[in-house]
Amino acid sequence: MKDIEIRSERFQWIVILALLLASLPLILGYTLLILSSFSKEMVTNLDLTSFHFTLENWLYLLQGKLAITGGIRVDIWRIVFNTLLVALGVALVVTLVSTMAGYSLSRIDFKGRKHMMILLLILHAFPGVALIVGVYLLYLLTVPQGQGLDVLRLYSFFYVILARAALEIPMSVWLMKGFFDTVPWEFEWSGIIDGASRIEVWWKIMLPLVKPGILAVALFAFLAGWQDIIYVRTFLIDQTLATFIEANIEAEYSHMPLIAAAGTLYLLPTIVFFIVAQEILLQSYSGGIKG
Amino acid sequence: MVEITLKGITKRFGNFLALDNINLKINDREFMALLGPSGSGKSTLLYTIAGIYRPTRGRIYFDDRDVTDIPPKDRNVGLVFQNWALYPHMTVFENIAFPLELRKVPRDEIERKVREVAKMLHIENLLHRYPWQLSGGQQQRVAIARALVKEPDVLLLDEPLSNLDTLLRLEVRAELKRLQKELGITAVYVTHDQAEALAMADRIAVIKEGKILQVGTPNEVYYKPKYKFVGWFLGNPPMNFVEAEVEGDYLRVYSSRIPVPSHYREIIEKLGIKEVILGFRPHDAQIVKGVGDGLLGEVYSFEPLGREQIVTISLDGVFIKVFAPEEESFTFGEKVTVEIREDRIILFDKEKEVALEYLYKD
Amino acid sequence: MNRMGREKIKDLSFFLFPMILMILFFYIIPLVMTVYTSFTPLRNWNVERYLFEFVGLYNYERLLYMFQHDPTFKAVILTTVVFLGITLVINVLGGLVLALATFFINERIASGFRLLWLLPRMSPIAVYSLVWYYFFHGSEIGTLNSILMKLGVISQPIPWGQIIPWGAWSILIFVNGLVGVSFGMIVFTSALNQIPRELIIAARVDGASTWDISRKILIPLMRWHILYVLTWQFLSLLTTFHHIFLLVQWNLINRDYGTTLALYVFNTAFGRGEQDQGLAAAAAVILSIVGIIGGYLTLKLLKFEKMMKKPRGDF
Repeated sequence: MKDIEIRSERFQWIVILALLLASLPLILGYTLLILSSFSKEMVTNLDLTSFHFTLENWLYLLQGKLAITGGIRVDIWRIVFNTLLVALGVALVVTLVSTMAGYSLSRIDFKGRKHMMILLLILHAFPGVALIVGVYLLYLLTVPQGQGLDVLRLYSFFYVILARAALEIPMSVWLMKGFFDTVPWEFEWSGIIDGASRIEVWWKIMLPLVKPGILAVALFAFLAGWQDIIYVRTFLIDQTLATFIEANIEAEYSHMPLIAAAGTLYLLPTIVFFIVAQEILLQSYSGGIKG
Repeated sequence: MVEITLKGITKRFGNFLALDNINLKINDREFMALLGPSGSGKSTLLYTIAGIYRPTRGRIYFDDRDVTDIPPKDRNVGLVFQNWALYPHMTVFENIAFPLELRKVPRDEIERKVREVAKMLHIENLLHRYPWQLSGGQQQRVAIARALVKEPDVLLLDEPLSNLDTLLRLEVRAELKRLQKELGITAVYVTHDQAEALAMADRIAVIKEGKILQVGTPNEVYYKPKYKFVGWFLGNPPMNFVEAEVEGDYLRVYSSRIPVPSHYREIIEKLGIKEVILGFRPHDAQIVKGVGDGLLGEVYSFEPLGREQIVTISLDGVFIKVFAPEEESFTFGEKVTVEIREDRIILFDKEKEVALEYLYKD
Repeated sequence: MNRMGREKIKDLSFFLFPMILMILFFYIIPLVMTVYTSFTPLRNWNVERYLFEFVGLYNYERLLYMFQHDPTFKAVILTTVVFLGITLVINVLGGLVLALATFFINERIASGFRLLWLLPRMSPIAVYSLVWYYFFHGSEIGTLNSILMKLGVISQPIPWGQIIPWGAWSILIFVNGLVGVSFGMIVFTSALNQIPRELIIAARVDGASTWDISRKILIPLMRWHILYVLTWQFLSLLTTFHHIFLLVQWNLINRDYGTTLALYVFNTAFGRGEQDQGLAAAAAVILSIVGIIGGYLTLKLLKFEKMMKKPRGDF
């Protein structure tokens, strides 16, 4: 309770009601999507008479049968795996880079440190998406020539992970630096005096102390990789859930509730994270903005 | 075991002068307290000895070895921090073993040494616990054990008792002093608590604004303060100070007159000084009822402390504090005379706030 | 160089190497390449044929010409300006209102609402687009249409996103506004939590209403944060287009009046049909210049440098 108890109950309920009203489109939009995935027909028209419960959409989706009739098949599990691979890759790269750089920016004084931090802030304020033409050109120039498709596919995974991770780097380094800043200097000094090198201090003392921060950064990076569409559709040869939905929404054969099911499936990890890690989400989001 | 010599240590943080030309020799096996108010630079000095800070100017020697450019880990010092800095993700055993592991000491030797030092500090039954499962006093022992396990040449302590409650502090104080003497280790102890410094140290260095004001045994700094600040900072309640004017063989203190103390006669004559500050400790005077020979004043307030009481006396509006026996009773506004033990009087220069004898020697 | 200095350089290169590599490869080099490409006639990613041809300022001249004469490009610029202005205001005000509203209610309910409003930002972009695709759909399956029809406001479904310009703009602003609001909400909430409770209690005891407390105590104390959200959101709205992309792609919103400059750059370089990377690069360079200057001004304005503390210790 941040306010004292003399504010009136009634006032509180008015505020809650107003918030609920403002949130209505949001609640409605997501609920109808999820509901439609369990229905024979879309229920986005708010007509509950068109809701007929069925698990068919989900069954077909998980078998990769795109249309109710006909033989259009996709390997949906492969698509889920691709999405996961990108998300985990981004999380790994971002976590590694930001725990290393965040530590040194927080703890080591060096010439150019201030300039590097200013550069990071500018990059953070200026999303790298504007540079996507250059990033793609670099991709074209570095892609291995004369190799089989498998090599190309692998390279496109490698590249999309790095390119997407790079977008998260300035913010994550800054966030991680903030977490390292909160660790009292005595821990560091104690390690140094006991004979640890900076790398040992980082690995054996600091990383265990900032575990919640690492978790938060990894989580954000994972969700960033998971939700992405622009980079995935630009660089990745294989399909992810995002490009799958993009490709099938207007296709004539596609059964709308099935796409709704695909969307719900795609939303699932986000929801899980929401429930599991809500504290971390709400707290660390603001952590990145403090000096 | 080493002797530490600091030569002309100066440390700047940007424009801020944290340490100003510090010269200090800490003898082998000595317990040296660095005493000063917060922000005086005493911790900075300690961390400079440890190697955390590099002096802007000056050299540090351990015996004859110049360690100024040697990184902290090669100085073989043990440091106990104010917040103890126990690694929360390691057990007590792992905490104490950490310095040895970094030195790649064989496993069985680590085991032996940790048990040895744990036994010495009476924490051998806590080794499997985590720091957050320990009381403050236990955590403090672990921190000392971790500092001692690598058999350092120097033990550095940064206000290690300030996070303990009062009773525990008194207990650990005695124990720590005993431990230091048993191990025969050179110890430097930073504190802002004058009672702690007086009780534990062989010698005390009083620091203010990055300068060492006085170095000496507890007795010396207590009874012969070189500066008014030292007299004020040590002792509870602090030394009394009243302004006085020299009138021939007498000192005029407001409406009273007392003779110039014999040990100051020559000095005052040589210096030809007129205005001084008279300082004396609250227990170096006694209160006589009525008007007599001494400082005349009236009782402003009195606070019984059990065995004795502190009487606040107004000398024409300036307050001084004097101890009196518990059985004596006072009334507010009562006229009294304060008789000061002549040999305990210190006279300070009014401008420089230095005891006159030091002014004279300079 | 003494021993401590050498070790420090060794440590620094270890810790900073991965980050520097990432910044080099995905910011610095692409920026240089974008600038370079803007001076070439690169099209359809035909690198061999066009990348080493130099056309000077031709692409920039084309942009200027289009700005004056091409109705599509004019629509894009107008859309960008309107979109930026209105969304920015909505984001800041909406974030402020949400933060204040959740500040004054029961903490558990409040964090429920905050999570709900974070959903747009955290959702997969394709799913988020899907939600609004159905909500604003031009047929009777569109939620908005069906509500209005049930209420009798309209008699037949309306393709909202094709009403130009305001229908398209409204959806654009609504969809991005919902994403942006959560940023302000989170920043302001953390700012509110840092305000000493005594200030609010004292004001309550003095008889101040919730409105008074918000207006005279809380908001003035959040000035820095409001400025922060304002400038940060400006830059982010200027250069991101994720949440619009699919809606335009799926024809939910009109192509001309649903395209901001950032999306225009992307579609010109990667869109269906004729791709013109030279032109896209020129437009991207202009965006980048605005972004870099904006970012730098933001730093100065918000006095970030003063918050940078120096590390302690000289080892």
